[in-house]
Amino acid sequence: MSIKNTINHKGDFLSLLQHANYPLQIGLPSETQHHADIEIAHSTTVVAVRYRDGVMIAGDRRATAGTAVIYDRAEKVLQIDKHSVLAISGSPAIAYEIARMLEHSFQYFRRSQLQELSLEGKLRMLSRLIRDNLAMALQGIGGVIPIFALYDLEAPEAENGGKIFFYDALGAHFENVNFATTGSGSIWIRGVLRYLSRFGETPLPEMDERQATITILRLLDTASEYDAATSGYNARAQIFPTIKTVTRTGVETLSDENLTESYAEAQLDHSEAHN
Amino acid sequence: MRDEPYRWIEAIQDRRDYIEDQLRVGSPVVGLTYNEGMVLLTIGRGQRKIFEVHDRIALSAIGHPADIERLRMLVTDTASVQGFQNATEDVNLHRLTNFVLAHTFKQAFESIVGEAYIIKMLLAELGSASEQNRFTGINYDGNVRTDAAFSVIGGTEAIETRMQNYLATASEAADRGLAEALQLGLEAWAIGKELSSREPEDMESEDTEIDTQQMHEIISLAREDGEIEAGVLETTQSGTSKFRLLNTHEIETALS
Repeated sequence: MSIKNTINHKGDFLSLLQHANYPLQIGLPSETQHHADIEIAHSTTVVAVRYRDGVMIAGDRRATAGTAVIYDRAEKVLQIDKHSVLAISGSPAIAYEIARMLEHSFQYFRRSQLQELSLEGKLRMLSRLIRDNLAMALQGIGGVIPIFALYDLEAPEAENGGKIFFYDALGAHFENVNFATTGSGSIWIRGVLRYLSRFGETPLPEMDERQATITILRLLDTASEYDAATSGYNARAQIFPTIKTVTRTGVETLSDENLTESYAEAQLDHSEAHN
Repeated sequence: MRDEPYRWIEAIQDRRDYIEDQLRVGSPVVGLTYNEGMVLLTIGRGQRKIFEVHDRIALSAIGHPADIERLRMLVTDTASVQGFQNATEDVNLHRLTNFVLAHTFKQAFESIVGEAYIIKMLLAELGSASEQNRFTGINYDGNVRTDAAFSVIGGTEAIETRMQNYLATASEAADRGLAEALQLGLEAWAIGKELSSREPEDMESEDTEIDTQQMHEIISLAREDGEIEAGVLETTQSGTSKFRLLNTHEIETALS
């Protein structure tokens, strides 16, 4: 890149990458389009809830291909910047690329335009990346359905600025007020979330961090009970689900010690027969 | 004109005089390390001069705003693409300055029929486990200079030397906190500011020594119609991006 052909990308990282000849769309050779039954690792359970301080967002750690467990330490909850987290279900290869692209896009905007990208701008950027991936999604191998959790710093101090957004395969984004879940295990817990949010003893948005943690651990445990592609807590190998909080002060990952305590409190440590 | 070496050299010299004349009144920038990172600071009048380039790299410059903007974008774009294509850890200041910026500066300076960049740049890179902190200055003619503990850019070389001499007498970087670094940086800035308002021939004489009281007068005068701008690369910041601008409140607290 020389100064002669430096053009102003106005903070658009995708335009900059295009200019640097980086292949943005992962195109497949046309003949593979008719053999879309290749087994690609996916399926999972990710869940986000609004609690007192912001948003808590979590995912199990299993990656599968068909009936095979490929990996039991996959990270599906990825920090994008100081106040946003992306949780992914679907094809991990594309999802990681989308997360990385998103992270770099926000940074590039801030560095070149000397201001943070607005919340709406961040949502649109993710929409665009998902839409660009449509061809892969239609072939049945590269679909990615994320949950995006952010903390809106513009929200008044007294209010909970935590926001949860979910997307469809075409890139439309929807704000989900109190919870969102996606992945193959989500069907087993969506109803529970709705029940908790509507009729729970402590409504989701009023829970403190420990209460929300216990609720999430129980939800993931429930999902793993019925969905083979979702892992529960692996006591022998000490593998916990990933849980992150997005609050006014930023993104935090709950430590293993914290999760060990929460597990004890959630009374999930004694096994029970499937019923 | 290139067949006539004498005229070419003369043209380069004219260009040098012209650019230095333009740069001479520029508000200097001081770069210092402290116990938790590195700081770049200056006093300006609204025109922002300290920028984030990448996770561990910050940039400051004096000169024409349009040139600063153009070259800032060049280095930011290059670092962003490299950081994405490889990994953010692969972006390093030495490559950016020596492989990208230096030859761009030199080429523009020496193509005497084209436009020259009126600019001096100072970049800072926060070290990692294997790398030391590094300040790199680039002159409008493409000359690169690297320092570890502190560095400055000012109107002329003589001004820079005087500012650097002052910083060299100060305490070890490892012992000073951010407040002390800001104070020291501002004093060095005051020396540079004062000297750039004098005629070049007045600068060498002995009675031009500036004492601490004078420095503080210069600083408070400058703060009346300008603002302190300071950006830090902090080892204590969580996450990969280590740069942030200090806000007015933090600067006030540090200096009180």
